[in-house]
Amino acid sequence: MDIAAQVFAHLEMAVIKVIEPSAFELAGPSFWWLERFFFQTSPSNATLTPLETSPFFDDFLEQSQSVWRSPEQHSLTSGPWIEVDDAGREWPFDAQAIHDHGQRLLLITHLGASYAERVEILQSSRERLLDNERLEAEVSRRTQQLKEREEEVANRLLAAGGYRDQETGAHVKRIGLYSAAMAKALGWPPLRIDDLRVAAPMHDLGKIGIPDRVLLKPGRLDEDEFEIMKTHAELGARILSDTGIPMIEMARHIAWSHHEKWNGMGYPRQLQQDEIPIEARIVSVVDVYDAMIHKRVYKQPIAESETLHFIRTSANTHFDPRIVEAFLDIYDTIKAIKDRVQEHENDQPSPF
Amino acid sequence: MIQKKICMLGSFAVGKTSLVQRYVTSQFSEKYLTTVGVKVDKKVVQIEDQEVKLMLWDLAGNDVFSPLNMSYLRGMAGYILVIDGTRIKSFESALTIYHTCQQKYRQAAVQVAVNKVDIQEQWEVTDAHLAQLHDLGIEINLTSAKTAQAVEDIFIKLARA
Repeated sequence: MDIAAQVFAHLEMAVIKVIEPSAFELAGPSFWWLERFFFQTSPSNATLTPLETSPFFDDFLEQSQSVWRSPEQHSLTSGPWIEVDDAGREWPFDAQAIHDHGQRLLLITHLGASYAERVEILQSSRERLLDNERLEAEVSRRTQQLKEREEEVANRLLAAGGYRDQETGAHVKRIGLYSAAMAKALGWPPLRIDDLRVAAPMHDLGKIGIPDRVLLKPGRLDEDEFEIMKTHAELGARILSDTGIPMIEMARHIAWSHHEKWNGMGYPRQLQQDEIPIEARIVSVVDVYDAMIHKRVYKQPIAESETLHFIRTSANTHFDPRIVEAFLDIYDTIKAIKDRVQEHENDQPSPF
Repeated sequence: MIQKKICMLGSFAVGKTSLVQRYVTSQFSEKYLTTVGVKVDKKVVQIEDQEVKLMLWDLAGNDVFSPLNMSYLRGMAGYILVIDGTRIKSFESALTIYHTCQQKYRQAAVQVAVNKVDIQEQWEVTDAHLAQLHDLGIEINLTSAKTAQAVEDIFIKLARA
């Protein structure tokens, strides 16, 4: 046996010459398992005739015709497949069709031990992947539980504020939904968007500390009263401080800064431009929009067109121009939220 | 006799091999044994007055170690997209496979098997996910290779298609 034949025997690789599409000739050592695929009149006769009993191998032979017929050098690999014998034992194989310098070959390899090793490696890798998936699912489930608890806390805070405020549940819900839609349009990650949806409705939480004579006054506030009313921003921030919960921290920024203006003429700290937290800049726009288009005890609703005109012309003075642009870009979504979440849900003070 | 090539597709460990074994040999094993490469089983079924030979190509599950080899799908008459109801990632993987198959094998019949319905209380796949599949026009079957629920039906549907 020459060296090449020894190598093929060691690899359990049958080397077969392709004489014509369905005529094959063994060009190396023979193996007992070739009987699964070919008829051979005798071990000394190199001519092989396909048996057409293995669906996978037959399909591969058919695909290989294009390789052998191709005028160019070409090859095709089957990938591993498994044959099962009458006793139920599995035999793994791999095949290659080669066309190289006019030589047309079919190589069939019995994978044997190397296949078993590959299965073992893949099995343990996949078991690890399954473990990781289970862990990820558990983390995701617990995060969701935590979020639900945070939202419950937020709802109870809002409910407490709502007993004294004239704002309706629909208003605070809309502020959350508008803000989330804006954050999505601005490309925020999903968890932060959800935080904003829950945090934004708490923007006026500080009104819980404003005296009734100011908070519930039907007419316009005088200068002193307005000064008292302005303290709700800082009061809200104080109520929401030091929790260590990212969503409540976001709500604190919003409560403290949603009356700041882009040009520094807002309150309570006269912050300007990027000094104002972005979540507060978002809430500032949607809160003004919602307040203008809805009826209040002290005013009639303002037309959509007039409201949009006000928002557009307030870019660079009252509002961050990028937030105004995003608002106008998703105006259809904003309007859909406004139409969907209406006051009939709640003609009574605050939230849920 | 009509012959139909049916491919079992889906993420790893969703129960493709178990579904084929349940259908062909009426057996089931709890132990997860990964498939490497392809194994072809056969089953002849009677559809009205016609015998149909199903060639069931059980393909290795798709993951980072083993992407879908499209050449295995050549000539398939239909495929079963298997999802493990307890693993949301297998749902996402099934959607990817479906869209890949639609590019080249739009004519192939498809049935979805959302497997492991015997432990439905542990499912991560929700009605909203199933609605997503429904919206794509795919027929959904809630199967269990363990209890044999809907297993024969799904193969018969493809034999009839």
